[in-house]
Parts: sequence; C-alpha cells; structure tokens
Amino acid sequence: MFNQGLSLDQAPPASVPFRFFLTAPLFGIILGLLFFFYPLSAITDQYSPVAVAAVHLFTLGMLAMIIFGAMQQMMPVLAGAAIKKPKLFGNIVHSTLTLGTLCFSGGFLISNKIMLTIGAICLAIAFLTFFVTAIYLLFKVKFLTSTVNSMKIFAATGIVTALIGLYLAGSHISGDIGALHYNLVNTHAAFGLFGFGVVLIMGVAFQIIPMFYVALDFPKYIQNKIPIFVLGLIIAIGLFSFLDLDIYILKLILCVMFILFSVYGLNSLNNRRRPVFDVTLWFWKFSLYMFIIAMLNWLFIPQDGMFTLAVIFGFGFLYSLLQGMMYKIIPFLAWFHLSSSGHMVIPTMREMISEDLIKVHFFIYVSSLFFFIIAGFLSDIFLYIGALLFIVSNILLIVNCIIAVGKYNKIAKTNPMDAFTQK
Amino acid sequence: MAETVSSFMTADHRACDEEFAQMENAVASDDWKLAQEKFDKFTLDLEHHFNMEEKVMFPAFEERTGMVGGPTAMMRMEHEQMRSVVDQMKGDLTSKNKDHFFGLSESLMMLMQQHNMKEEQMLYAMVDSHLGEDVSLVIQEMQGLEKA
Repeated sequence: MFNQGLSLDQAPPASVPFRFFLTAPLFGIILGLLFFFYPLSAITDQYSPVAVAAVHLFTLGMLAMIIFGAMQQMMPVLAGAAIKKPKLFGNIVHSTLTLGTLCFSGGFLISNKIMLTIGAICLAIAFLTFFVTAIYLLFKVKFLTSTVNSMKIFAATGIVTALIGLYLAGSHISGDIGALHYNLVNTHAAFGLFGFGVVLIMGVAFQIIPMFYVALDFPKYIQNKIPIFVLGLIIAIGLFSFLDLDIYILKLILCVMFILFSVYGLNSLNNRRRPVFDVTLWFWKFSLYMFIIAMLNWLFIPQDGMFTLAVIFGFGFLYSLLQGMMYKIIPFLAWFHLSSSGHMVIPTMREMISEDLIKVHFFIYVSSLFFFIIAGFLSDIFLYIGALLFIVSNILLIVNCIIAVGKYNKIAKTNPMDAFTQK
Repeated sequence: MAETVSSFMTADHRACDEEFAQMENAVASDDWKLAQEKFDKFTLDLEHHFNMEEKVMFPAFEERTGMVGGPTAMMRMEHEQMRSVVDQMKGDLTSKNKDHFFGLSESLMMLMQQHNMKEEQMLYAMVDSHLGEDVSLVIQEMQGLEKA
C-alpha cells in the first residue's frame, strides 16, 4: 500500500486531471446558455425538466467533473491510495461522465427518452467505475486520518446518490413516477450535495488549508466529529423525508456544523503564516462566507423556488472553492511534472497563470452571482446579465487554465537535456 | 508518554515550517539581509532534518524490514527534489528577485507539505511499529547528529 502511494509512476499523468478541469467550465458555458434559450420560469422552478437538466449540468458536468479529476490526484497523496491504470481509468470516467451528462441533461431538455437512457447508462459506468475503485482503495488504507475518513464518507454517500439517481432516471424513462418519487429526490439531493459535495470539501480543506497556506490546523473535534455527524444527519434527513416528518431540527444542527466548519476555515486562512498575497485565497474566503450565508438563508428565509439558495450554495460556495483549488493544483502539477521529469528551465507556479487574469476572472464571477441574486428581488432582466457574466467567467477560467496547460505541454515536449546543449 | 519517531519528527517538520514562514516574511518585507539569515537558518535545519532521516532513521528501517527500494528510496528522491529548489532560491536571494523567489518558495512549500504528509501519515507510523523498543535509541542517535 505504502509503496504504491508514494511511487511517482502511480500518480496519474498531468493530462488526466487537466482534462477533467478543462471540461468543467465548458459545462458552465452550456449552463449559462440555457438562460437564453429556455423560459426563466422553467429554470427557476426546481422540479421542471429544464431545472433538472440545469442542476445536473452543474452537479455532474462541473462539480463531479472537478472532484473526480482532483481525487485521482489526491488519493495517492492524501490517502496513499493509488489507482492501478490511471490513464485508462481517467479515460473511462471522463468520457462516460462527459457523454452521460450531455445526454442526460439533453434528454430532459428535449424530452427524449433515448438520450436519457444513454445518459443514465454512461453515468452509471462513470460513477460505478469511480466509486467502486475509490471505495476499494480507501477502505484498504491502514493509517487513518480525518481526510481519509471524510473521503470514505464521500465515497459511500456518492454511491448512494448515484444509485438513487439511477432509480429516479429509470422512473423517468419508464414514465412510472411513483408515490415516493419526491421523497427519493430529496434524499438523492441530501446525499449528493451534503455527502458527496460538502463532506469531501471539508475533508480536503482539513489537509489543504494548512498545506497550501501554511495555516492553522482545524481543531481535532471538528476534523473527527463533524463529517461523521453530517453523515448521520444526511441519513436522518433521508428517513425523515420518507416518514414525512419536519426536518427543521436536522437542518438546524446541519447548519450549525457547516457554519462551525466555515468559521474555523476562515479563522485559519485569516491567521495564515504565509505573508505572500495569493489570489486563490479570495476564492476560498468568498466560498466560505457564501457557505455561511447559504446556510442562514436556508434556515431562516422561506424558499419559493430554491433558485437564490441554489446560486449561493452551488455557485457561491461549491464552485468558487473548486475554482480556487484548480488555480492552485494546475500550476503545481504543471511545475511538479516538469520538474520531476528533469526539466530545469521551467516557469515557477506563479508564472504559470497571470495573477491579474485570475483577478479579472474572480470579479466577473462574483458579479455574475450578484446579478443572479438581485434578480430575485428586482427584475428578471438581471438573470440574463448574470448568465452572460457567468458564461464570460467560465470562458476566462478555460483561457487561464489553457495558458498553464499550454506552457506545460510546450516544455514537456522538449528534451530536458536541451537546456544544457542549447547554450 | 514516551517520544515516538512520529511525534519527534513531526515536531521537527513544524519547526522547519516556522523557519520557512519567517524566511518568506523577511523577503516579503524587502529585508534582504534578514532574509539571507533566515534562509541560512532554514536550509541548515532542513538539511539536518534530511540527514536525520537519511543517515539514521532510513538505514535503521531498511535494516529491520529489508525494504530498500521502497518508501525510503522515494523519500530520498523527494529530498533531492527539494534540495534542488532550495538551491535555485539561493540565486534569487542574491539577485533580489522577489517574484521569482516566491514562485519557487510556493513550489517548495507544496513539495514539503506533500512530503510531510506522506511521512507523518504513513512512514513514521511504520517506522515506530517496526522499530519497537529501539525507537528511543534511534531518536537519541538522530538528536546527536551535528548540524552542518
């Protein structure tokens, strides 16, 4: 186990995570375009087919895409768990996840059951391949840490989310929407967003905040207890949903847990030891503040269509954080793989992507969320502005990432020895 | 509770992290004289940490387990990679190239933290469990190594 985890050959080639990272903003662009082609009322009504398509473009095409890409890189380092054939594994998961998301969302958008079926099959392959492998590797790890424990919860809740999702897709395909359909939808959402999404982010944050920013560790009780409590609460939400019980008390405890996590995260970032300005901190801090706002919003403000909450939680918290992480991981991997293969003359991490371009991206991204949120209070016209800015921000994200990947590819193609012979 | 390789070496990692942060602080405030002093202190401590592992702990572990080409070989390779980055940073201090220095120091920091994580979460625990009662002897021997 140990040898595998430490061998550089076992880590996936840089092209594997890069491909996942570059695909996610493409789905962001498609999601933004939906606002211009479908009635706004359909997008903001959480149970309409258009909204189901939009939500899955985000959760599968963006969220799962980045998480799967990052996990292939992180499992060997954080958990000592390496995937045997990383390239083949990456190819299968990436192609089926991409095709599956397109067909699945497309199937809902144009009410086409064949597309929906193809989508569901592809997604089943992507998720089962990923989670069966992840569970096999993570449950083998001997020396447990809070991150490994969180990753295990992520994998377990992820597979439950996927199985319920497949059952729900089957109901849509067969046209047999049973009495428990919406209870299952709620359970699917709770396991997906809180287990697959939040618990993983917490587990990764426990390691990455101290590691990337030389900052304080999260207190042990936060690291060890919160993910387990969250798992218990997600299961309870599922049960309550089937028994038609009010989940307010569960919501309250869950919100307290998540806010505690965010407060400690922000405290750690604000008191970090590294003095250097780092633009990725903006994404992390913005994300954690939005997480707190999302939880307070969920708890205290009656929801009509969940649209504003979805924007704050999905884009504000989840996507902001993942983008900040990508801006750290891509330059590091580019530098690391080049340096490890013997290249001497390479850009430093900070030279891979211009900090100014990342700042521009951040401001456009935050503006897009601002317009999405005020649209609920003012006028639908702001939804169009928000969507347009969201598209532009995703284009900028791709451009920024391509700049780094391009620099990597250019140098990777050369012979490391050229640096000595050209002079 | 008696000191373990894990607790002793983890504390040393944290001490190196602290030296590293102080060095970056000095560069950030453009105090190049202080930066050079902090850099020298950091590299001395880092090299001492590497030596404790390469000259004492790894050989003891390899002898006990027979695992010569395994985790310890990988850790040695990573030490070399870090030494090479530290060497490049030295040039930036001389030429007072702040941006390039921080570009490199960021890479070094990520390398160090990844490396520490592997050691703290796996290797040290393995060393403690394989060395058993000899742990305190190994720690003593590591403490006795001169910084040079």
